[in-house]
Amino acid sequence: MSNPSPPAPASSGSHLGLTLLALLVTGVGAWMFTQTPAPIRNGNLAGSAPPPALTGFRSDAWMLPNEPELGFVEIPAGPFLMGGIPTTDPGAFENERWSATLPRGTLTLPAYYLSRYEVTTAQYAAFVADTGYEAAADTLAGPGDHPVTHVSWPDALAYADWLTVKLAADPNTPEVLRQRLEAGWRVSLPTEAQWEKAARGSDGRVYPWGADADRTRANFQGQTTVPVGSYRCDDCPYGLADMSGNVWEWTRSPYQPYPFTVDDDSDSLRDDALWVMRGGSFTDPERNIRTGTRGGGDPGARRPFMGFRVALSGP
Amino acid sequence: MAAARKRRAGPGRATAPAAPPFPVSPSSPLQRLAIPLSLALALALLSATDRVSDQLVLTRSVWAAAATLIGWTLMLALQARRDGRTVSLHTVLRPQHYVQAILHISVLSYWGYHWRPVYDHIWLLVAQLLFAYAFDMLLSWSRRESYGLGFGPFPIIFSTNLFLWFRDDWFYLQFLMLAAGFMGKAFVRWERDGHRTHIFNPSAFSLGLFSLVLIATGTTSLTWGQEIASTLTLAPRIYLFLFAIGLVAMYAFSITLVAGTAAIVLFGASALYSAVTGVPYFIDSEIPSAVFLGLHLLVTDPSTSPRTPLGKAVFGFGYGLGVFLLYAVLGLLGVPTFYDKLLGVPLLNLSVRWIDRVVARLREGNRLEHWSPSWAPAQANLVFMTGWILFFGAMTLVGATDRRHRGDTVPFWETACAEGRPQACERLLQIQTNYCGDNAGWACNELGRYYAEGVVVEPDLDRARSSFAQACELRFQAGCLNLLRADGWLSSEPRPIDYRLLLREAGPNLVDMPEAALLPRACAHGWRSACGKATP
Repeated sequence: MSNPSPPAPASSGSHLGLTLLALLVTGVGAWMFTQTPAPIRNGNLAGSAPPPALTGFRSDAWMLPNEPELGFVEIPAGPFLMGGIPTTDPGAFENERWSATLPRGTLTLPAYYLSRYEVTTAQYAAFVADTGYEAAADTLAGPGDHPVTHVSWPDALAYADWLTVKLAADPNTPEVLRQRLEAGWRVSLPTEAQWEKAARGSDGRVYPWGADADRTRANFQGQTTVPVGSYRCDDCPYGLADMSGNVWEWTRSPYQPYPFTVDDDSDSLRDDALWVMRGGSFTDPERNIRTGTRGGGDPGARRPFMGFRVALSGP
Repeated sequence: MAAARKRRAGPGRATAPAAPPFPVSPSSPLQRLAIPLSLALALALLSATDRVSDQLVLTRSVWAAAATLIGWTLMLALQARRDGRTVSLHTVLRPQHYVQAILHISVLSYWGYHWRPVYDHIWLLVAQLLFAYAFDMLLSWSRRESYGLGFGPFPIIFSTNLFLWFRDDWFYLQFLMLAAGFMGKAFVRWERDGHRTHIFNPSAFSLGLFSLVLIATGTTSLTWGQEIASTLTLAPRIYLFLFAIGLVAMYAFSITLVAGTAAIVLFGASALYSAVTGVPYFIDSEIPSAVFLGLHLLVTDPSTSPRTPLGKAVFGFGYGLGVFLLYAVLGLLGVPTFYDKLLGVPLLNLSVRWIDRVVARLREGNRLEHWSPSWAPAQANLVFMTGWILFFGAMTLVGATDRRHRGDTVPFWETACAEGRPQACERLLQIQTNYCGDNAGWACNELGRYYAEGVVVEPDLDRARSSFAQACELRFQAGCLNLLRADGWLSSEPRPIDYRLLLREAGPNLVDMPEAALLPRACAHGWRSACGKATP
């Protein structure tokens, strides 16, 4: 038989209990201080450790390529042919036609720089580690030398803005880049015109290396991404790598009908936003990795076949 | 039966057990210790459910809680064997436990029917109940007290979870919060009416304590607190529902004066503020629904509140005034305002003896003669309930409960902000933040503009970019274009998909509303640009 025991007097037991309670609350408070608030984006929190060193990339320069100009390749000023129609390019899509009367347009661009490689996971990780930017876990899950994927259009722009600030502030930034930055140039996404000129050159190539698709020149119709620069292309117009295949690349151009203008499409604000992406990916058939192919991407999309490269251009 | 009812309603009866304790059949201490052991094992078994096993931290939290309980049980078993220590148990069935538990379950069921995460939380409620019973039992036995087996942990767990629960990644803190509540009940005690009793309402104590820690550490986002506070209104006619639930508690435990006075103070103060400033005090209601829930089911624990009618009225007045002031203070500090209903309760619990003393002095001096009608306590409670019913009915008739509130529209606050009304720009910022959080791309872009232009709020370009980025990811084109600009920020009208969120009036989104009906509704909510288009 169990009887209720008499109430315990206030005793050292109570003091011990109060001490334990105080310790519990203090411990919880101290622990909470170490927790990161508002960490949730897509349900995951990316790691913030700086990326490990990679051959061919400079760990002292945000994992950019170990080249004199950190992988930025100058695309000289001048005209190029933009767009295409099926009569001259059998793979061309209707949205590549320049206008009702012209299959192609001639566009003259001032000089600018485009990165030789797609932005890698390691480069993006350096950005995340430096800023605490909230990246989805999948974004940094790939190998460091592969193109970064699972990045939205704003994610890509945020990286570019960060790199502008970093390059401008670092005394070790190559002189030629420094001069441009001091003149008001900025790192950003390329416009689709900048992207297309860099890919097809001034002679209007269907693929960066020539007229025909070639499985030995690009990563397409495959299973996964490959390290950037796996398919070197010294005979491409400006020696840029992976302009065809590997990952679709975001541009800073809203998806609107040709002819291309630098107009930012601000007169159709009520339409859902779509932004041009270029180059096709490892999942695509040969038609989609043509230099003229235009994809329209939902700016919030984070996909395993979508990445970006950056441009440095003037105001 | 009538006599029993009268006793329950009368002063001094609230904490007395309604039924005498029933000793549990004789068994050895080791056999009794099998109870918490079984509870701990059942808790560990819950980790096999999909809800728990899908999340590693949650699984580990449950295991850690179970392991702690098992370790504690084994320690007590060793002590019992070594020292011949007794471990006793008796049953205590108190209506304030099981009736309150039923009321809590009703609210959780109704709310969960309209907000799915509550139902997803059921296994975790079960886990907390198992933990609470075992913890409470072991704590009693460690203090060499007999454990009163009844429904006591139910209202503690349910009322805690009606206001705050931690996200899965931090669920171990939920167990610690409950532990703090039970420890507070066991160790933070005082003499009251000749009995040594706990000072604080256990759930309000742990909620208040952890709220302070969350505020101090800026870690509110580890919890579902904000969502909990704002999703009650997804359930239609929630005020009427809570009012009906509250009537049961008022009848059973004579808490009418506590809840009613608190509600009257809040309605009154809110109306006064509105009359003076021209804008509502609370952003989209006369009393936030979560506060209305709190004043019925959180602050009304009979054991930790005054027992005289005047004392109850003072207690309710204090709660109402406390919430009113805390809402403003928290808002000024930039802290989530949903803590307003949680922080004041422990302080009120602490004031109970003082309130009792003041009332007793007034009584001794016969100063209450005019205010003390000769009704029996049960009759008095019915009279108070009648008054409360009439008051609530009047508030409902004037649209101060479940009807649309003028403060739930953006145009209202835009105008008020432009006119320089008190706190209007802060409210505008808050309401846009809420809608942006609901994934209305238009609201995110507007929020970005506010931060970029620095008109409504201090300029903050990082926040502006973050808001523009969110708008852009929601395919709101102006948000994307603003990310490419350094000035001349673009704005645009809401899209139909945005209106489905902006016009929801604190209820569920209007995903099924035909597009043709959206624009007239937008016009009625003050969106002038929608009015011309709404006319056929």
